[in-house]
Amino acid sequence: MRVALRTPAYLGLGLVYLWRCTFGLLSHGSCKYYPTCSQYALDALREYGLVRGSLLAGWRLLRCNPWSRGGVDYAHDQRLFR
Amino acid sequence: MILFHILTPLENLLRDVLKWLGPHGTIGFTWAWSIVALTVIVRLILVPLTVRQIHSMQNLQRHAPQMKEIQKKYKADKKRQQEELMKFYRENNINPASSCLPLLAQFPVFISLYLVLKHFPHLPGDNLEWLGIWNITDKASAGWGPVLVAVYALSQLASSYFMSATAEKSQRIMLLVLPIVFIPFIINFKIGLILYWMTTNLWTVGQGLVTRQLMPRPAAPEKRSSRTPPKEVATAVAAEPATAPAAKPSQPRKVKRKKGGARR
Repeated sequence: MRVALRTPAYLGLGLVYLWRCTFGLLSHGSCKYYPTCSQYALDALREYGLVRGSLLAGWRLLRCNPWSRGGVDYAHDQRLFR
Repeated sequence: MILFHILTPLENLLRDVLKWLGPHGTIGFTWAWSIVALTVIVRLILVPLTVRQIHSMQNLQRHAPQMKEIQKKYKADKKRQQEELMKFYRENNINPASSCLPLLAQFPVFISLYLVLKHFPHLPGDNLEWLGIWNITDKASAGWGPVLVAVYALSQLASSYFMSATAEKSQRIMLLVLPIVFIPFIINFKIGLILYWMTTNLWTVGQGLVTRQLMPRPAAPEKRSSRTPPKEVATAVAAEPATAPAAKPSQPRKVKRKKGGARR
């Protein structure tokens, strides 16, 4: 199950890495959360697979806006899925 | 791609605004100037956001001494350091200046404009030139395009310079090198897109200059001197007296070096 979960997740992981080594460089260090959004995405994809991981990462990105407070927020501590 | 379909509403919106600004619309700019105007409108919409950022940046500067303390305290453990900093933000109602969403939000706009330019809504016989030199539907590699790309790269450098005011040195270098690395890709874009990018960069530069006026010069040296001799701040805040006496402020610049020694 876990392996099956992970295989498509590589697609997402690849995209995040692609982002990191292109435009992500420009925005380096500008996340208000810890871990950063891209790290969160990697963690979420690894742990929850492509679909749920992407949803979690997307939700995190939406939360990473000028009106939010930021803070420590690990993918592992998410409350969306159980 | 699916992404492009998701962007269709935004693409249509941008096209409509362009048409409204353009030679057959209400405003009646040439197409090239319409793109410039569109960029200005986008950036104007983002102004409230910028103001917020300036405020939180000032707030960060005010708390810089304590944050330095935290950074020093957990120097060995980066993870812990970040967590403590985040906690500090929370406790002191600090909203870190930057966040991911606005940065990411620029991309849909950019891609949508790319799509708009792909099927540009001009009629035959329309004036597509900018300053009589560049045709906005041409590729940037054609004719005088590379000159505009060079100007773009300069504007990108300048805007990176302002954007990176708070970044670390290594990051700064990266920010300054990237525009040059991007040139081979950018040269394949259409002139109109480069016009957009250039305008938005120049806006950033202008904004940076205004911000510097708003955050007057004393702010920067003050930050440096006050975070080094934490005494003043410590007496004011009375929160972290433990490390405060270590550094005795005499002259801001000297103390800066002293800080390293005082750590022991």
